[in-house]
Amino acid sequence: MDPQDRSRSARKGAAASAELLAQRLAERVIDIVVQAVDINAVLQQVDLNALLARVDVNAPLKQMDVNAPLKQIDLNALLKQIDLNELLEHVDMDVLLDRIDINDVVARIDMDRLVEQTDLGAIIARSTGGLATQGLDTMRSAAVGLDRRIDHWVIRLLRRKDQVPLAPPALRSLEAQP
Amino acid sequence: MSVRNHPSQWVSAQGQYAGSASRFAAYLIDLVASTIIYSLALSLISFLVEIVTGSPVSWHRNDIVVLITYVAWQFVYFGFQWAGDGSTWGEALLGVQVVRADGRRVHPWQGWVRSLTFPLGFLTLGLGFLGILVHREHRAVYDLIAGTAVVYAWDARAARYRYLARQAEPVAEVAAASPLPNPAPGEAPPATEG
Repeated sequence: MDPQDRSRSARKGAAASAELLAQRLAERVIDIVVQAVDINAVLQQVDLNALLARVDVNAPLKQMDVNAPLKQIDLNALLKQIDLNELLEHVDMDVLLDRIDINDVVARIDMDRLVEQTDLGAIIARSTGGLATQGLDTMRSAAVGLDRRIDHWVIRLLRRKDQVPLAPPALRSLEAQP
Repeated sequence: MSVRNHPSQWVSAQGQYAGSASRFAAYLIDLVASTIIYSLALSLISFLVEIVTGSPVSWHRNDIVVLITYVAWQFVYFGFQWAGDGSTWGEALLGVQVVRADGRRVHPWQGWVRSLTFPLGFLTLGLGFLGILVHREHRAVYDLIAGTAVVYAWDARAARYRYLARQAEPVAEVAAASPLPNPAPGEAPPATEG
């Protein structure tokens, strides 16, 4: 081997040893420092809100496939661990109910289907379905039907094409109800 | 000719101007009711006069006193009820009501004026009633004079629910009386004959 090559190789070896020594030294120093530092005390001094205000949470969330980690989670097992009763004890139901528009909820109920498809219909029929009531309903509905038919004929006979008022002004809101 | 209509139409008719058939039927009922009451009243008076005087009293339809008192009775019968809540017995049965032209509750004086001018319909040989058919608001001549109109006022919504309930009742009864258990999921329902 050429003496020059030998000395170059020796220098390389020394440099590698020095680098390894420095790395070990650094690791040791960091280890000592980390053990010496009270992380909780440091974290108490950190203003997490200010830190989080700087972080754009939406950006990584947009890139993240949320479904993938969710698929790996056993939600049933997770839910089994939750004490729903205790959770519900923390919920102020009055505040929750105040937020709900009961009238809106009731307005969404299809009363026709409710009466037709539940025992409620039978209860109404038994409580109000007397023969006299039934006869009265039939007579009135037949009269309304006959009125409508006669009106239809008269409108055709008079060739009336303009819209006629269906109800007096004060009763038009009643008429508009379904 | 069928005059059946769907229950939803009943509700939509609520508050609308009442038509000729309803009004005519109501008038016929009132005519029968008022005549029966008048006849009973005459019979009662005859009975009382016979007890007091001892001689029987007989009334004839052609008697001018009977005719005048009958017309006066008709005026009171209709006027009193229209001035009250705006509907006679017949109108209450048919579910129609006399209201002001704008739809509000009728004034008592309007009820009496309507009753007083009601005979105009007959005196004009029926032309006074023609407004019920051809007027845009179904108002007869006495309605125009008294400033009234007739509207449907029965609780059609409740009637509709009663109708739907009657439709549902047989289904509910059959379901309750059925001894057969409900088929399990995936199991075929029991076969029926026919």
